[in-house]
Amino acid sequence: MMDTLVVKDVRKVYGEIEAVKGIGFSVKEGEVFGLIGPNGSGKTTTLRMISTLLKLTSGSITVCGYDVAEKADDVRKVISYLPEDAGAYKGLTGRAYLKFMAGFFAAGEEYDKMVEKGIEIADLGDRIDSKIDTYSKGMMRRLLIARAIMPSPKIAIMDEVTSGLDVVNAYEIREAIRGIAQKGVTVLLSSHNMFEVDILCDRIAMINEGRIVLTGTPAELKEQYGAPNLEEVFVRAVKG
Amino acid sequence: MNHLLNLTKKELRELLTPSSVISILVMVFIFMMIGTMVGSEMDNATAPPVIGLVNGDEGGEWSDFAIESMYIFYEETYRVPHGEAVGYIVMLEDPGDRLLIAEKMIEEGLDTAFRIVPGFTDSINNKERTLIEEYYIFTSTGLLGAATSTVSSTIIPFVSGCISLELVKDVTDPAAAVFMLYPVEGNSSHTYINGEIYDGVTPIDISTSIMSQTMFVPIVIMIIIIMIGSIVISSMSSEKENKTLETLLTMPVKRTTIVSGKLLASAIAGLIFGMAYMVGMVFYMGGFTGSMGGINPQDYGLGLGITDWIIIAVMIFLAIFSALGLCMILGAFTKNSKAAQTMTLPISVLAMIPMFVTMFSSFNSLPGVIQAIMFAIPFTHPMMVMNNLMFGETTLVFAGIAYLLVFALITIFITVRLYKSDILLTGLGQTKAAKSAKGLLQKRKPQ
Repeated sequence: MMDTLVVKDVRKVYGEIEAVKGIGFSVKEGEVFGLIGPNGSGKTTTLRMISTLLKLTSGSITVCGYDVAEKADDVRKVISYLPEDAGAYKGLTGRAYLKFMAGFFAAGEEYDKMVEKGIEIADLGDRIDSKIDTYSKGMMRRLLIARAIMPSPKIAIMDEVTSGLDVVNAYEIREAIRGIAQKGVTVLLSSHNMFEVDILCDRIAMINEGRIVLTGTPAELKEQYGAPNLEEVFVRAVKG
Repeated sequence: MNHLLNLTKKELRELLTPSSVISILVMVFIFMMIGTMVGSEMDNATAPPVIGLVNGDEGGEWSDFAIESMYIFYEETYRVPHGEAVGYIVMLEDPGDRLLIAEKMIEEGLDTAFRIVPGFTDSINNKERTLIEEYYIFTSTGLLGAATSTVSSTIIPFVSGCISLELVKDVTDPAAAVFMLYPVEGNSSHTYINGEIYDGVTPIDISTSIMSQTMFVPIVIMIIIIMIGSIVISSMSSEKENKTLETLLTMPVKRTTIVSGKLLASAIAGLIFGMAYMVGMVFYMGGFTGSMGGINPQDYGLGLGITDWIIIAVMIFLAIFSALGLCMILGAFTKNSKAAQTMTLPISVLAMIPMFVTMFSSFNSLPGVIQAIMFAIPFTHPMMVMNNLMFGETTLVFAGIAYLLVFALITIFITVRLYKSDILLTGLGQTKAAKSAKGLLQKRKPQ
């Protein structure tokens, strides 16, 4: 399988702060790859650089063969980024929001099909025609997941996707992610929830203070540290 | 679907919400109400007042003459057709007591009355000065509540003048007597306007008339600028606050299209709101200026032709785009709605300064430094364009258009650059310049 995402020796400096210090990893097509690490370790900065939101200080990132610095417009056509705590336009209804987003990817019949697909994934019933500011956090997250999946991206980038959700909503969203991965979509996600990472990710990279300290499958990492779960692996790796 | 159209439609849906439209309509309604109320007060103040007249010198030759003079006063001052003035002067019986006169006035619904005192005719015949008493009922405390009482300041001198003329008829040389009463005439004015001399008009007549037509322009432009400013900055801050900006920036659409969509939608919303305000303002100002300015500036070479109106439209369009560009730059640095309110302040100040200056002064009468500052503020130009076109200041008009064009392009260019940079998401907090600025501020803080 080919590499959908290749990150090579990437650095990001904000003024005097070096947030990312030369990280590198690659993600294969259809793989669910987890980026885990403590707060401020550089996960979100890395995801934002992959999503073309932030410029790289040095290094390179290629998404489906497109360099993010050179071909940002092409990269945006194949990715779908769902930021942590992302919101939607509260004055719009769920349907209007999906229509607005679908407008960037398709036209005509394809557009209608994409909107229908989004509505189906969101599974909000009649509430799809309610204003977004009346949605609960779970409903909002379902709508945003639908928005991210609806255009059938090559790679879905999700930052803390189930953060703050109840058990049922988090379960449903994990199922949705598993579903798109089975259809060949590459998923890159960051999470603090080690249980989630363990059951969802094919491989993970642990990032600490802007550097990747561990890479492997959850099983490999647990074996390497002789730990019963990823939480213990995480704590031991971070504390050295 | 066209990306620009898609973005513009979304922005408009967000901006033209029922609550924002209702709040604008309420403001327009309030303006209209105030205008109608002031207008009705003005109409009352400038319409021929109905007055009461108590003749305490019943049957007297000079009291009858005074009453006849009052009718002539109504004909000459209020253009009341001959013979109809009688309808405005209500004759009251003389009860002989001040309080009873006032009660009679209340009964008749009058707030002003005059009383020709008993012995009026005898006094004049004996060459003794006499009186016409004034009575008022004070009920209204409104802006123009006291306006009707001003009738006495003109009607009594008029009646007195008529009696003087009648008295001098009997002297041996009436012409010499009339000359002695009015030796100087002051009714021949000549005013130089744009290379021409116009007779029978004074600068105050012209400026009153022009003011009645253009006074609301700077106010409306200021409102449009402030409104557009707050719309754009709020839109930017809500994108950040609701965490929608990051998603929007990862859509497969060029940053210039995102900026254009925001600009276009804000311009449309701003123009709709501005037009609504303009309608309200026209009613509002109409109330104040409805009875001002009886002359037409067009008759004095001060009218505006089609080309002038096109220039005005271009100027307003460029000013709106300059405001939008400036607000997009400021909006890029807002993090939340609270910061957005603060960011609106510079735009409001930049819109209010030229409004006050252009309302109370002309550009040419300002000192050089102030002129330079005023020229640099982009919103000055649409506010003074009407006056400049009327008075042939075309150099200033075209220099203003060129400046606005450059200003708008620079601000939009900076906006697009900002949208392509990290600053939109990270703010200025981490840059070297921001850090050194913070460091400087901390050093200056007292320990």
